[in-house]
Amino acid sequence: MGALSLKDLHIHYDRQPVVQDFSLDIGDGEMVALLGPSGAGKTTILKVVAGLLAPARGEVIIDGQVVNDRPPEKRDAVMVFQKPLLFPFMNVNQNIAFGLKMRGDDAARRSRAVERILALTRLAGLGPRKVHELSGGQQQRVALARALVLEPAILLMDEPLSNLDANLRQEMRELILTVQSELNITTLFVTHDQAEALMMSQRVALLLEGRLRQVGSPRDLFHRPADPEVARFFGGGNFFRGRLHEGHFECDFGRLPVTAADGNGHLRTATIRPEDIQLATAPVDLPDSFAGTVVRTRFEGMATRAWIRCPFGELVVLTAESALAPGQSVRLRLPPDKIRVFSEASSSE
Amino acid sequence: MSRPKAVLVALTVLAAVGLPFATLVIWSLADRWFFPGLWPQAWGLRAWSYVVTTAGGQVITALWQSVAVAFVTAVVAVLVALPAARALGLYSFRGKDAISVLLTLPIIVPPLSVAMGLHLWFIRLDLAESFIGVVAVHLTFCLPYAVFVLWGVFSNYNPDFESQARSLGASRWRVWLRVMLPMILPGVIVAGLFAFLLSWSQYLSTLIIGGGRLITLPVLLFSLMGSGDRPVAAAVSIVFVLPALVALLFSARHLGGKSLAGVR
Ligand SMILES: Nc1ncnc2c1ncn2[C@@H]1O[C@H](COP(=O)(O)OP(=O)(O)O)[C@@H](O)[C@H]1O
Ligand SMILES: [Mg+2]
Repeated sequence: MGALSLKDLHIHYDRQPVVQDFSLDIGDGEMVALLGPSGAGKTTILKVVAGLLAPARGEVIIDGQVVNDRPPEKRDAVMVFQKPLLFPFMNVNQNIAFGLKMRGDDAARRSRAVERILALTRLAGLGPRKVHELSGGQQQRVALARALVLEPAILLMDEPLSNLDANLRQEMRELILTVQSELNITTLFVTHDQAEALMMSQRVALLLEGRLRQVGSPRDLFHRPADPEVARFFGGGNFFRGRLHEGHFECDFGRLPVTAADGNGHLRTATIRPEDIQLATAPVDLPDSFAGTVVRTRFEGMATRAWIRCPFGELVVLTAESALAPGQSVRLRLPPDKIRVFSEASSSE
Repeated sequence: MSRPKAVLVALTVLAAVGLPFATLVIWSLADRWFFPGLWPQAWGLRAWSYVVTTAGGQVITALWQSVAVAFVTAVVAVLVALPAARALGLYSFRGKDAISVLLTLPIIVPPLSVAMGLHLWFIRLDLAESFIGVVAVHLTFCLPYAVFVLWGVFSNYNPDFESQARSLGASRWRVWLRVMLPMILPGVIVAGLFAFLLSWSQYLSTLIIGGGRLITLPVLLFSLMGSGDRPVAAAVSIVFVLPALVALLFSARHLGGKSLAGVR
């Protein structure tokens, strides 16, 4: 129903730059997650798209039209806030119909649209309820319904699940995915939860400290992070330095064949995810392996995280082996195809 | 509420409100009541018939004047206080503390001094002895009260509700009317009621600025008291108290802050 394009946005609060150089294109009907830690500027960006905040520079383009000068009520981009913000003096039906009423739809049309969206968001029968008679999850669904009923060109969701408990959150994720694909609404979905971003969206845009660091498919960001900070945000660890030489990464852990592009002879940083390192407790199990000693472990349910001292430094390993004990000797292997060499010589590692 | 508690509350209310009011009623129904007597020596409707017939025209005019002055004062106070209180409650800016001190000044300075201070200027501005002049002098202390009440309301107010409404398609105007106003309505009623009652009970400032031309109920009351006829003064007092009491009862459910819940 609408494409969204953000061009070179700079956003300030009282001259304090909060978001810089932010550009992002979202296709018609696409669901993009805007991911970043708290304070990165996610809400700020949504407010600019919704028209609730003016950027210092840059353009917001909806369906090919620059909408910078349009007030929020004329933007066809509806924002759902982190809190449900249901109007306490209205019941559920009235809350959901609010936007339709502002738009001037007649009563019959309003009630038809409200009924339909109540069913779609599994709120059927709750229409006459007062807002304070709803559970947290129901309130969040009403907030979502209140935006969806307008069938806006762009739907902006600001961490709509962060106030819900884990079970409810999973349920709501499914609901949002279903509804979004059913109505085919172009959606920018903000979250600080990397797992949520990966499972909810077709593409993920990672925002760190007000700057867009990487945009790509969930697999891209997870397996091919652009730089160590992106990797770290997705739970990566194990950064080490080495030199690229004829298709190999020469580092303390050996001469590892990698598929990194050019950059012969240059000093580079590489990483390997903790779950990609192979670990064996018996020496015969692993070819091309090296020895290490377990420093400490932490049981995490499906896996155990182990910090292992090697001759060249410490590595973090996530392993199914749950019987590791500090002081134990193990063998480690770094599968070459799992090693990611960053293209720029990074300053941070 | 448990039964003993309810009884206690009822007794407190009775003692605080009922007793003074009861003496007024007794006085207004006394034909003769001299010192050592615990009750009037003779009962009668002389005071009431005086108030209704002989002074009837005067009382009605005064009642109307009082309502008009208090109502206009309250409406203006709330309308002016709203934007000020909103700014004070929602935003932090330099000089906020100074403003709060300045606002308390008219409240702690007696209205008499304010009225005397303003009298000369009002004469120069042709505001003395006028309706507008009296409203203006009442506003000097009603407005700060209204600002204080609404300031409290706005410090518990979440402006995100307005952003949400804008994003859902409401223009700035409609957001004020359909979102902000319903949310702060209890506070607005309390502020308006305070301003109304404050203005309603003014005597000295009305007398000074009104110059005896604008006779509100308190002014009439004092002149009747000066004549020393206590039963008549009591009857007029009841006429004076009743509208205020009605206003209070009407808005009672908005007092006590209960209905402010859910603003955030
Ligand atoms: N109204 C405001 N005035 C000043 N600074 C603000 C305001 N709102 C947010 N900020 C700052 O802007 C930055 C980004 O905020 P925000 O967009 O809310 O982050 P996020 O939603 O990613 O957690 C933060 O450092 C925050 O402190
Ligand atoms: Mg936020």
